[in-house]
Amino acid sequence: MDAFLTSRPVADILGGLTNGVIYSLVALSLVLIWRSTRILNFAQGAMAMLAAYVGFAILAPTTNYWISMGVAVVAGIVLGGLTERTIVRALYGKPEINPVVAMVGFLLVLESVAAAIWSTVSRSLPTPFSIVDWQLRGRPVAMSPFALYEVVTAVVVMVVIAVVFQFTRVGLQLRAAALNPEVSRLLGVRVHRMLTVGWMLASGVGAITAVLVASNYFTGLTPTTMDGVFAFGFIAAAIGGLDSPVGALVSGVALGIAFQFVGDYLNSNAIILVALGLLIVSLMVRPNGVFTRRAQRRV
Amino acid sequence: MRQRVLVSSVVGVALVIAALDATFGVPTTRLRVALALLGALGVAALGGLSVARTRRDHPLVTRVLVTVVVVVIALVATARLSSNVDTDVAIGAAMTIVLLGLSFLTGSSGQISLGNGAFMGVGAFTVAIWANHHATSPLILVLVLAVAAGAAVGFLLGLPATRLRGPYLAGMTLAFAVAFGAVLNVFGSWTGGDSGLQLPNAENAPRWLVHLYPASTASLSVNSVWLAALSVVSAGVALLLMANLFASRFGRAMRLVRDNDVAAELVGISLPRARVVAFVVSAAYAALGGALWTVVNNAVTPSTYGLALSITILSLVVIGGIGTIPGAIIGGLIYAFANSLIGWITTHTGLNPQGNVASQLNGIIFGVLLVATIVFAPMGISGALRRLWAHRSR
Repeated sequence: MDAFLTSRPVADILGGLTNGVIYSLVALSLVLIWRSTRILNFAQGAMAMLAAYVGFAILAPTTNYWISMGVAVVAGIVLGGLTERTIVRALYGKPEINPVVAMVGFLLVLESVAAAIWSTVSRSLPTPFSIVDWQLRGRPVAMSPFALYEVVTAVVVMVVIAVVFQFTRVGLQLRAAALNPEVSRLLGVRVHRMLTVGWMLASGVGAITAVLVASNYFTGLTPTTMDGVFAFGFIAAAIGGLDSPVGALVSGVALGIAFQFVGDYLNSNAIILVALGLLIVSLMVRPNGVFTRRAQRRV
Repeated sequence: MRQRVLVSSVVGVALVIAALDATFGVPTTRLRVALALLGALGVAALGGLSVARTRRDHPLVTRVLVTVVVVVIALVATARLSSNVDTDVAIGAAMTIVLLGLSFLTGSSGQISLGNGAFMGVGAFTVAIWANHHATSPLILVLVLAVAAGAAVGFLLGLPATRLRGPYLAGMTLAFAVAFGAVLNVFGSWTGGDSGLQLPNAENAPRWLVHLYPASTASLSVNSVWLAALSVVSAGVALLLMANLFASRFGRAMRLVRDNDVAAELVGISLPRARVVAFVVSAAYAALGGALWTVVNNAVTPSTYGLALSITILSLVVIGGIGTIPGAIIGGLIYAFANSLIGWITTHTGLNPQGNVASQLNGIIFGVLLVATIVFAPMGISGALRRLWAHRSR
């Protein structure tokens, strides 16, 4: 049993799981926004990055991880709401490339502003738990207390989001506003407010993700920390289907594990190529995602 | 109508003044004669344009004449500017080619690409790799090879693009832009890994151009004139081809695909074919621009062709005006002089030029302009100018 737990494939699966939940969280944020506003938020990663900076750069002297994390999440929620109210609101009903361009522009603004304030030098974040892998008879299991904390946090976030959407009044209104804005408005749902709430939720999830990424990866926190993670998160969301939260979660974890195997057995440069290949193949076979039930398109 | 006459006479007078200035301000008689001939060509083209019947009955001739005027203005200017500015012009003219390609893809067929920086990289590395194995190939062959390589990669990526719309396509091309660096790394023995490649021989000015200048002129400054001229003429050719493509039957079919793809299919346009062709054209243009960059810089580094470049390209197209040829030229001009402008702002606001804020000013300004443009004036500068124009004419 011990030999099995420390074997190479198991190590890959555990390592992949830790990365995969991150991709799942990014994908989940994208899906939340896509479902409610039909906008693919290219600034998702950058917004999360800025929130992490607010939490960990402004409060640096206190260095209490949990306070900083809380501030980052609040910053993310506020930033998400502000973004929806100011930039995104002007884009509803415009041709579908306009929001793409606007969010790419916003990405550029956020990354430049962050670099202007905090420079491009990498900043290492404190970790609340040890990042050293547990040992079994002198051999490492590919799982550290911190990695476990990451997975648990991700699961908690996912469960909270699911509970909010399925069992609360706000969740019902959110779903109604996304499904049919006209009818919802007639029935008394304040659709515009729901769209703002959707952006705030997604952006809050993003902030948690960015903090996890920045303290886990050896890159630390830089203005472009989230670029690569965002690309993988998008690929997960696109493969799972931008309309399907479950698809986002499953494909995020599956991709994380697959990439770990590719990186371990082939070459770490091959990971992004395999990802691109998987994306292309899956989009050609199922353009609306593997987990989306019916193909839909508004003419 | 009156405005047209006004504009063409203003351009004409400016051209004559520029030619006179160039003629008497330059060191040798030979160069003076050459510039005078060039200026005369521009004035003649402008004269042809001022005939109303030409504009009405001969659209092809009109496009050729407009291109000649634009190219002549740029060439006369490069002969008089310092060699630093000439290099900026060369870089900007190459960027104009790239912008024309993306403008066609987005403006005509309604697709969006965040991967055009990587397509530029394909062209740039094709030139560098080829030059390192066949040092003596003629330049035109190298450029054609780069365009072919760009078109081939564009075709491969265009195949899945036929089934994707808007945000999905943008995401896929973004993934391509991120993956491009990894591809270069995998083929590190060819591409030189992180440090990139140097060209074995710099592209030097031909003998006839050197002879126009006094013997004491530094070869560097003649070379920069030559490189600028090379880029400007290439941009002119690209511009003319693109203007014809926009106006052709295929260009009109593309716009129908963009505005209403169901209607386009009903009148017999093959959507996949139209989309793949648009993708190939845009990739080929980007590759030509990247190839010229390698020739101008005499070297290529992989970090140039990251995601940031693709985003810059998209910003320039949108700020200039999506789907318009003047928009691509405006975008190219902005790119050529953005660094000088930002340097000017930095010195006049007393920012520390080595500081964080100064180094990020570029991204902040471009990003804000991009968001503001798409929210307030989605057709960009050329669209705004055109609206102003229509307003004035009434």
